Amino acid sequence: MANVSTAHAEYQQENHKPEMAISARNINVVYATPTGKIPAVRNVNIDLPKGSITGIIGESGSGKSTLIMAIMNAVTKPGKIESGSVILNSKNDLLKLSSEQQRKIRGKEIGFVFQAAQNSLNPLRRVGQQILDLGRSHDVKDLRGLIKYAKELLARLGLDADRVLASYQHELSGGMRQRVGIMFALVLKANIIFLDESTTALDMLSQAAVLEIIRELQKEKNLTIALVSHDIGVVADLSERIEIFYAGEIVEEGKTSKVLSDPGHPYTKGLIQAIPRISGDIDAAEPLKGSSPDFKTYQQPGCLFYDRCPIRTDACRESRPELESIGKDHKVSCFRVGADDRN
Amino acid sequence: MIEIKNLEKTFYIKASFSNRKTVQAVRHVSFSIPSGGAISLIGESGCGKTTIGRMLCGMETPTSGSIIIDGQDLSTLKRKERNRLLQKIQLIHQDPYQALNPTHTIQQMLAATLKKMARQKKKGPEWVRQRMDELLRLVGLDPETILFKYPHMLSGGQRQRVIIARALTVEPDLLIADEVVSMIDVSLRLGILKLLRDLRENYNISILFITHDIASARYLGSNTELYVLYKGMIVEKGYTEQIIRQPHHPYTQALLSAMPILNGIEKPGKDRFVLTSQFKQSDTDPSGCLFADRCPFSQPSCSEKRPELVQDGDSYHACFFPEVRNVAAESV
Amino acid sequence: MTTTETAKTVKAFKPNIYQGHSFWRAAWRAITRKVSRVIGFLIIVMFTLMAIVGPYLYPKELPIDPNNIYAPLSWKYPLGTDFEGTSNLALIITGARYVLLAAALGALFTVIFGTVLGLIAGYFIGWSDSVIMRITDFFLTVPSFPLLVVLSTVWNFGHPLAMGFILGITSWGGMARAVRSQTLSLRERGFIEAARGLGLSPFYILFREILPNVSSYIGMNLLTSITGCIYAEVGLFFLGVVPFHVNNWGVMLNMAVFSAGAMSSPDALPYLLSPLLALLLLTLGIVLFLDAVDEIFNPRLREDI
Repeated sequence: MANVSTAHAEYQQENHKPEMAISARNINVVYATPTGKIPAVRNVNIDLPKGSITGIIGESGSGKSTLIMAIMNAVTKPGKIESGSVILNSKNDLLKLSSEQQRKIRGKEIGFVFQAAQNSLNPLRRVGQQILDLGRSHDVKDLRGLIKYAKELLARLGLDADRVLASYQHELSGGMRQRVGIMFALVLKANIIFLDESTTALDMLSQAAVLEIIRELQKEKNLTIALVSHDIGVVADLSERIEIFYAGEIVEEGKTSKVLSDPGHPYTKGLIQAIPRISGDIDAAEPLKGSSPDFKTYQQPGCLFYDRCPIRTDACRESRPELESIGKDHKVSCFRVGADDRN
Repeated sequence: MIEIKNLEKTFYIKASFSNRKTVQAVRHVSFSIPSGGAISLIGESGCGKTTIGRMLCGMETPTSGSIIIDGQDLSTLKRKERNRLLQKIQLIHQDPYQALNPTHTIQQMLAATLKKMARQKKKGPEWVRQRMDELLRLVGLDPETILFKYPHMLSGGQRQRVIIARALTVEPDLLIADEVVSMIDVSLRLGILKLLRDLRENYNISILFITHDIASARYLGSNTELYVLYKGMIVEKGYTEQIIRQPHHPYTQALLSAMPILNGIEKPGKDRFVLTSQFKQSDTDPSGCLFADRCPFSQPSCSEKRPELVQDGDSYHACFFPEVRNVAAESV
Repeated sequence: MTTTETAKTVKAFKPNIYQGHSFWRAAWRAITRKVSRVIGFLIIVMFTLMAIVGPYLYPKELPIDPNNIYAPLSWKYPLGTDFEGTSNLALIITGARYVLLAAALGALFTVIFGTVLGLIAGYFIGWSDSVIMRITDFFLTVPSFPLLVVLSTVWNFGHPLAMGFILGITSWGGMARAVRSQTLSLRERGFIEAARGLGLSPFYILFREILPNVSSYIGMNLLTSITGCIYAEVGLFFLGVVPFHVNNWGVMLNMAVFSAGAMSSPDALPYLLSPLLALLLLTLGIVLFLDAVDEIFNPRLREDI
């Protein structure tokens, strides 16, 4: 416990909450561009409680992928992690480990499933060969056992294991590749899984099937999952808690059902109204106004959502609201949302 | 008025030198879209919905069946005349990142076809400029800021609007919208859907909406007909709202069940089931129902004979054992 | 669809002026972004100027100085002198026109033949593709340098245009193949399908839609084939298979090696090394400048942020 930051220790003391698989504090990532520094992620605190599914919602350009990369300490230039700590299993700070130690942890403790699983598979090697490569690079002694476990997982994912292991990636359909991606994330027995837009490219049936499998596997193996998506529907279906991410900051967080039924932040309200749904009144649906955050959004001094906000005041342009509690386990960063001034 | 009758498409895939596989992508599909009307084709990837769209705009040739535009059968026409008619049908691609030339500004893209139209109409450059401005405003973009931008400077939603504006330059009668919202952020989808509905209602442009997402089909207007496709065959048709409330075919029910539930504001329908089996393109065509191998409600008799699309009350479906199940999510 | 909006919202703008500026400005920005590119650019400009004004700087018959044969480097003769006492620098400068003009024309022919044939073969596929590709294969199979040697015995290369044409004819094959394969992949892209669907002419699609997408590739090839052409023609002169009508770098090399014995006598070394130095410097300039080409032609990289 030598390298646990004091902030984290304090946090653990005041909240007798479930143990955290990942506890990220004060993450700041800055991109250096010719026009100046852009704070891509600013003062973000995220906890992933052990054995639960947390959803992270953000539009394209919201910096959500940068956040995930920061948690993994894998931010690439011109981005740079300015400060913060990422405590894994209340032990190591991921941001302070050597790159070799980090490499070991990725895969063994933390697994990744990307949006384009086809891009993370090597097109020139069979799936089985790639599992062996992965095992060797992580010094797995029992390669036979590894393949056996991979087969077990594939069967669990509803695939014909022997056929898949002997296939190249182009021989698999989109839904199958995504399942193979999940298998890769799990095969080294990682307990923490990041799913970054992993169902976005799939059609509804494959998406539902993949989500169902994730849900079952999570229960079975008590996995900790971070589900990152722009699609609030997918996240709402699966996760217990959600974090709404906008232009590099968390603007609302809380229990999923609570945030959806009683959203505080105008951005969350707008997002929920903008989803094409099969239930509810068609005419009540309203597209979100304005355009996705760009580099100018990140650099303004006031509230990041100011340009698109329907309930803004002049004060919102001047200073930026902090994330504050508005109910049990429900936090919002908006000046207009509070005890008295509820919209 | 655009009508297709008994459209069929078979693809031949070379498996090796001697044998070739056949894949029947579209089977006996018929429908007609009145001017200003809309039809949605729903199905998972590989069900043949994109092939239907590509045949309609002349990118594929049907194996059999006919496409009739304003009373003229395309296959009987000379090439020049056919190309003139096909211009009235414009395809909006699903991938807005591929459908715009990265080396052209928006102004160059629109000018290319508008100049051609101006020559046909004997109008001058002033008309081209006006029209460009008008079309961009119509699709909800500000001409001043957008005209001199390159595609990579635009967001997915803006690109899709530019693509629609470009299709409108040739004054089409029918827009084929092939998965137009699947690659853009959920928060921006409704804007594009509303635009399509607006084009229908105010400019009398018909829409053929191709998607895997039933929810987005709802936003095209209440009188939209929904056709559910499975392995190239229509298995159910009807008005969108009616099918969502009372789906008869198990495949339609699987599609409806697959919609994610918005916990907190929605609850799952009581009969909801999730289909986890994979869609397989089989080498041989089964003699029975095409969906029998995945259907959770199939009976032994289902694989003996293939059900036809029949009228049953006020719905059309192709199933021997139709049963209305309450699978769609409901508001809390 | 009818015109419902009125014209009053339309504001006048001047697209062409705007765009004309933006391309050259952006190109200039791309060049000045790195020091190496500026150096490359300056070297190319220097040689171009040399080719244009070089011959006017000296009398038609270069002065000879029998007292200073194979003179060492000095202020009067910065690169020494040749077997007649003529300044090597003067020879290099006056010789640049033929060498560079022939090379530029050769590269231009290579690129034009290669691009047009590659585009047509790749876009129309079918029989035109087969015919063009068989011809290409033929030119790729015939070794071009020996062919040049053979051709030069029957053809008069006194004019750089003739030289350039021959150089172009023998070297477009690789270019055509590369452009064809890029066209083949581009024709399946969404925006080309859309252009076809909009009823745009094949001519428009080929030269306005596809061509700009391969332009950075073409630009780079133009530059690299200039160096290729220079080596080829200098090689021809060096071997002496082409009659010496004019003075140029290749002739200098030939004379230095075969007449002056530069390989054995150190006195003639400046005579041998000065054309080599010119070649090296020009190649260096082109290589340094190549780096900027991609950025100039690709709008995504051209942008300032």
